[in-house]
Amino acid sequence: MIIEAHGLRKTFTAKRGRGRTEEVEAVRGIDLAVDEGEVFACLGPNGAGKTTTVRMLATFTAPTSGTARVAGHDVVNEAGKVREKIGYVSQAGGVDDNAPGRESLLLAARITGLSRKQALVRADELLETFSLTEIANRPAKTLSGGQKRRFALAIGLVNRPPLIFLDEPTTGLDPQNRANLWDEVRALRDQGTSVLLTTHYLDEADALCDRLVIIDHGLIVAEGTPGELKKEVAGDVVTLRIDDQAAAQELLSAQPYIKETQAEGDALRAYLDDGEHNLPALLRALEAGGLAIRSISLDRATLDDVFLRHTGRSLRDAA
Amino acid sequence: MFRHTMLFLGYELGNVRRNPVWPLFGLMQPILYLLLFAPLLTGLPIGGKPSGGTLANALLVFTPGVMMMVALFGSLFTGFSMINETRNGVLERLAVSPAWRPAIILGRVLKDMIVLILQAILVMGVAVLMGLRLSLPAVLLMLLLMAATGLFASSLSYGLALSIRDEGGMSQVVQLFTLPLMLLAGMMLPISLGPDWMQTAARFNPLYYSVEAGRALFADNFSDGSIPLAFGLFLVLAVLSLGWAVRSMKRIAG
Ligand SMILES: Nc1ncnc2c1ncn2[C@@H]1O[C@H](COP(=O)(O)OP(=O)(O)OP(=O)(O)O)[C@@H](O)[C@H]1O
Ligand SMILES: [Mg+2]
Repeated sequence: MIIEAHGLRKTFTAKRGRGRTEEVEAVRGIDLAVDEGEVFACLGPNGAGKTTTVRMLATFTAPTSGTARVAGHDVVNEAGKVREKIGYVSQAGGVDDNAPGRESLLLAARITGLSRKQALVRADELLETFSLTEIANRPAKTLSGGQKRRFALAIGLVNRPPLIFLDEPTTGLDPQNRANLWDEVRALRDQGTSVLLTTHYLDEADALCDRLVIIDHGLIVAEGTPGELKKEVAGDVVTLRIDDQAAAQELLSAQPYIKETQAEGDALRAYLDDGEHNLPALLRALEAGGLAIRSISLDRATLDDVFLRHTGRSLRDAA
Repeated sequence: MFRHTMLFLGYELGNVRRNPVWPLFGLMQPILYLLLFAPLLTGLPIGGKPSGGTLANALLVFTPGVMMMVALFGSLFTGFSMINETRNGVLERLAVSPAWRPAIILGRVLKDMIVLILQAILVMGVAVLMGLRLSLPAVLLMLLLMAATGLFASSLSYGLALSIRDEGGMSQVVQLFTLPLMLLAGMMLPISLGPDWMQTAARFNPLYYSVEAGRALFADNFSDGSIPLAFGLFLVLAVLSLGWAVRSMKRIAG
């Protein structure tokens, strides 16, 4: 286990002005276990507590209660040892605007103990990997958001950490750079690096990670591989808009091939396996019941359906 | 620890070297004071002499005040750069790196001191061109005194930046303190020209001692009591404010 966390909690005391304060329960008791060499995702809407969780694991924020061991060391009592073994790319990035990216990279390399020569070699390597060589000597404030993020990643990897934390690594990247980043993450895994990333993109968690947790309001609501989690709901989902939603829900729940139904706003979602074959039966059932369909679609179930099942909300609405 | 401090110092000096415009810009004000204000003082009974008469005599009294102004103003605003870094993730990244925490502040403070010493040399150079005569020990001790004052002022500035973490609030606080401190230190004109109550109030202002010590140095009065007093005072204050800045940095994690 490269990460083992038990009962992590973080309560912030936030100022509300005029001397009043407010308690914010950002994380309300999280258990995590991440294996070596795994790409692990924390998926959740804005404000779910993803950043706070990562910050506690990366030794930035001390937990209010609970314990965590990262790379074999306690994050509170042995923070120094943990810091030697992790890379951390914050949601904000943390690239110094006033200096050229290469300088930030060199400084980061030397702080981890490399000599000037070794640092130069390592920096060139990373600049190459992230195609940054040409813009390495420009002040970072002249770079685009995506270019800066690539610098942030390069800096996070400078010490070849066995574990890297990436907080929303693809936010603000164009599809091309997003795909590149996914490739980087996969390459890291192939080299044996463990990755813990946060995201609110369903497809990202689905495509990229070996296992994930879904976090909502500071708690884990589901955990598993993307496949397992989706299997929990069903292979496919039929989304219907029908005038008499309540009647339709009752009717569909009674069908043997329907595993579960969920009403979400004006849409009714019916989960079933082998949707292509069961769809005609579903249509016949609705017709027999005298229910007029306004619209219907059949899709593969996604992690959003998992989120919906556990929270009663869609991640698309929550985020 | 020392290594990390030197690394941060080197990095910061690199930034200054690439963009030396602002430190040079900061010299405009003191040099204008020397050129356009010091000549007004030639007729005033300052520097213990009944009537100085010459520009050189006026500069002897006025230059140390202007230099302390550079040390104070230049350094007190240096922390502004760090406020943004509490938000853009730079400090967050450094905080979870293996960097020795005090080095993050120390590197910057040392950079500020080096910039300050270079600025002081330029200001003294201008004063010398205008007719001021200085002995070598006076110049060297003055540079040290500037460094001590700057060490305090810039650590204080980083401490303020890291605890206030708001540009607007910080500029209010800095402005609130600097003007009375400056006036009550006799930077422009010696406090000895003022009424008794002002002279008493000035004794509670640490800057008063550094300005007085600077004037004693320029007058080659090396045995003046204000000199050890100013050095001692500023070293203690510098250590206190450095400690505060480092502790404030640890608290940014919330
Ligand atoms: N320093 C802080 N002081 C007070 N409250 C905080 C602080 N940091 C986070 N919070 C609160 O804790 C909760 C969780 O925040 P967190 O940043 O962990 O969410 P997140 O899952 O990373 O969200 P996002 O997707 O928007 O990045 C939010 O309600 C937030 O307002
Ligand atoms: Mg976040």
